Amino acid sequence: MENIPPIKGFIETSFLDWPGKVCSVFFLPYCNFRCPFCHNHVLVTAAESLDSIPLDTVLDRIRSMREWIDGVCISGGEPTIHPGLLEMIKVIRAEGFKIKLDTNGTQPETLRYLIMEKLVDEIAMDVKGPLDEISYAACAGVSVPIELIRKSINLLLENRVPYTFRTTVVPSLLPEDKIYEMAEQLRGATGLTLQNFNPADPMDPALKVVAPYSEEKLKEIQESVDEIIKDHNRMIAESAETGLR
Amino acid sequence: MGSVVQLSSPEQEKRMQETTDMALFVHTSKEAIDGWNREKIVDALVRETYVDRDTADAISLEVEQQVLSSGIKMLTAPLIRELVDAKLIERGLEQARMMHTRLGVPLYDAEQMIMHPNKENANVPHGPEATNLTLAEGIKKEYALLNVFTQDVGEAHMRGDIHLHDLGFIDRPYCSGQSLEYLKKFGLNLPNSLAMAKPAKHPEVLLAHMVKFAAALQSNFAGAIGWDAVNLFFAPYLVDLSDREVKQLAQMLIFEFSQQAVARGGQAIFSDINLYWEVPKHFEDVPAIGPGGTYTGKTYAEYEKDAQRFVWLLFDVFKEGDASGRPFFFPKPLVHITEKFFKTPGHEKFLNHICDVAADKGNTYFVFDRGSTAKISECCRLSFKLEQSDLEDAKEPWKMRYSALQNVTLNLPRIAYRSGKDNTRLFENITEMMKITADAHSKKREFILRLLSNEKSGPLNLLTMKLDGTPYLRMHRCTYLIGMVGLNELIQYHIGQEMHESHEATKFGLEVIAHMKLVSDKLSRKYGMRFVLEQTPAESTAYRFAKLDIQYYPEEATEIVKGDLKRNEIYYTNSTLYNVGASMNPIERTRLEGRFHPIIEAGAITHIWLGESKPSKESLANFVTKTFRYTKNDQIAFSPEFTACKECGKVSRGLHEKCSYCGSEDVDGITRITGYFTRVSSWNKGKLGELKDRYRNQGQFKKQGVS
Amino acid sequence: MTLFTKSLCSACQDVKQEFDLEMLGIKLEELGPENPGALAHLAWHELVETVETKGLPILVLDDSSSIADADEIKDYLATINKS
Repeated sequence: MENIPPIKGFIETSFLDWPGKVCSVFFLPYCNFRCPFCHNHVLVTAAESLDSIPLDTVLDRIRSMREWIDGVCISGGEPTIHPGLLEMIKVIRAEGFKIKLDTNGTQPETLRYLIMEKLVDEIAMDVKGPLDEISYAACAGVSVPIELIRKSINLLLENRVPYTFRTTVVPSLLPEDKIYEMAEQLRGATGLTLQNFNPADPMDPALKVVAPYSEEKLKEIQESVDEIIKDHNRMIAESAETGLR
Repeated sequence: MGSVVQLSSPEQEKRMQETTDMALFVHTSKEAIDGWNREKIVDALVRETYVDRDTADAISLEVEQQVLSSGIKMLTAPLIRELVDAKLIERGLEQARMMHTRLGVPLYDAEQMIMHPNKENANVPHGPEATNLTLAEGIKKEYALLNVFTQDVGEAHMRGDIHLHDLGFIDRPYCSGQSLEYLKKFGLNLPNSLAMAKPAKHPEVLLAHMVKFAAALQSNFAGAIGWDAVNLFFAPYLVDLSDREVKQLAQMLIFEFSQQAVARGGQAIFSDINLYWEVPKHFEDVPAIGPGGTYTGKTYAEYEKDAQRFVWLLFDVFKEGDASGRPFFFPKPLVHITEKFFKTPGHEKFLNHICDVAADKGNTYFVFDRGSTAKISECCRLSFKLEQSDLEDAKEPWKMRYSALQNVTLNLPRIAYRSGKDNTRLFENITEMMKITADAHSKKREFILRLLSNEKSGPLNLLTMKLDGTPYLRMHRCTYLIGMVGLNELIQYHIGQEMHESHEATKFGLEVIAHMKLVSDKLSRKYGMRFVLEQTPAESTAYRFAKLDIQYYPEEATEIVKGDLKRNEIYYTNSTLYNVGASMNPIERTRLEGRFHPIIEAGAITHIWLGESKPSKESLANFVTKTFRYTKNDQIAFSPEFTACKECGKVSRGLHEKCSYCGSEDVDGITRITGYFTRVSSWNKGKLGELKDRYRNQGQFKKQGVS
Repeated sequence: MTLFTKSLCSACQDVKQEFDLEMLGIKLEELGPENPGALAHLAWHELVETVETKGLPILVLDDSSSIADADEIKDYLATINKS
């Protein structure tokens, strides 16, 4: 049990972290990224300033709402950098709760293990930008070995577990064409969900003055993204059909 | 030459005697007094009070002397009245003075009202019509306190033991719920209107009738105007319409009701529309009325598809919002969730659709009608379980007209302050206060009956029209609401814990409300009137009570009132709700608050404040379904917050000081105040205090060293 | 366990007479116009509507589940009486 990562934040009931489900959210500290738009940056850079909430305490809380809470979303920070994550997931599962994992995809082997052992029920992976070292570094705030990201994406594309790809859209970091480039690169995926950037309290204070896209604009971009990804899916379906012939 | 001019011509004089105001004398200046007739004073005293002619004569002489010798430059009717009143006091004729008193507002107050917005009701914009409303309300309020209620009741209200709602509308019942069938069957045929319309042949005309009738009702009722099963009753008119045309109609309906800010006092009609995905059981076999007011030969069960089409498209319009994407404030859509709902094909999709609107704009109210009881909701919170006689009425739905005659709210924390933490005294004092409330209701009832008794020539002739053989206002079916504010603070003072702090506190809260329920049942039997408990919306009452308690019970109230005392932004927690700032997750809040709902007959509600976050519609649908299955909660609504920029016109989620798109500080915050959406800038101070405290389902991140 | 009853309810009297409730560790709550405590207790268990539709008596078990039919209550009490 001492191996279990600390919980630094807890939302008892969330309607937005696991679409379709009523879930609880556990926030784990620390991250190997420094995304300039991160709004949970206390967890990343000053996690020591937050009290840890014992796992037993949070489990006690959600047990009393068992028939309401469908599952637990483990978020962060980056949960997969904690070696004890596995243990934690097992304890939560033993209580009968489903698990969703939020990740940045830098630990594909951990993800593979969790999926193969059927320890997670859904994965949401943040794809930060187009899959080249320069764009990614700009969006993640650190240099990232793109191979790892690709591996995780390909793993999810195997469709062994429900997943979503998500991207936080900061206009200055991700102009429209880059978003479409990402959509191209995620061919075959079930979708790419765009999330609007919130300038209230980003990790990089310089972003406070960056205006987010308007709701309508973002919706428009989302529609184009859906179109691109759908086209790929159709092409794949068609080529499969030709193959059959 | 200046003079006191007696303005009244013989005809005017006659008119004046029919009304009560005695605007007899106007204006003077210089030395001459013309047209002064002290007999007027004598007449007034004899007519209005019990003073005999000799005393009246003596008083008039004294006043005349005073006027002549005083050198008063401007003599007005009010001044003369005040002088006469002073003489009555000198003679110890206090009762006569009260009867002879004059109602009105000081010059300074009139100036304030004309120049500054009214914050008692955020649904009143500032403008000449609104000023008329406020001035008239002021006078009618005084009239009510002096002339309708007993002195005990009046004083209890003034002190803030209780709150008599809508005193300024003393001559109207409180709220009204009805069926479109009335218009479909009888057309628009109002006692005061110059033209009479036959039953509508086209859906647009039916809508026009609905809007006009709603406006007519608004001028005869104080509060909400509700409509039952709107989508179903429109359905027979929609059979031949394309989806595009139905959508157009949906748009017209919502814009008509949301833009009616031109009616009474510049106030939008507080309108509720009740909606169903299924055909409610009690309407299944009812013969449907179609265009021209004739029976279509089918039952309402056969109109399910068109009713569904209409309700779906209504929510499409709510989803889009107004021209700049803001949520519509009115009409409020109340969707009834029943056992049958879950058995009706397409309900999953529809639930996602209305949850999409709830997540995005917040409009949707989810009303839970569990088991076999059918309910009708009328005002923002008022819902009724249909009784056997109502179910009979349902076969002829135009008969389904319900009204609450008045709403009186108890200041629960004050009862606790007076009871010194003693259980017996607490319950006795609650009973005592409820008796005063019952008395207030019976006086209002008598007064309304008096107004109705003049039928066609009376002021409430609209409510006496008998198109179906019985008067529009069905007095026998009226209810009298007993509301409460600050149960949480009563408990907090009495046992030292707020309701969210322990199960014991909640259980004690339940006992207080159970006591009120039993007392109201007893009073109902005694008076032969239906008293029902209601969760008071308390838009301004929660602020008023807190302010008055700080004044009269500073020692007790200072620690108990919520909000920011330094800024005077204080309030009590509404009705039986839990502290709005308590970090209770939506599940707990819905579950715990729901335990009160079955003993509060007139619809109760739990609010879930979403703040900035935009939830997944499917997750909300999941939550709504579980609320139906696992709780006794009557009604829930999710409230998001918005910032609308007046500069660039864009709307963003959350309440911000600046527009997040263009950076302008010229913004309007928009969210739900109690039962409806408004601009935050129009809120009273108590509500502003509450807004800051609202728990928005934030996560728990505890900084070290802070407990 | 709590048994909710009211006066003038013959099914309630039957159950009360047939069993030694005190011995079975059952608390008795009699609903009536002078007993807000009993109504509050009923509301705490979310059973107000059940009483409106199914009537009394109602037996609330220790796990907060409930039995709302006189015959079923008797059957249940008979089994625990034996054990």
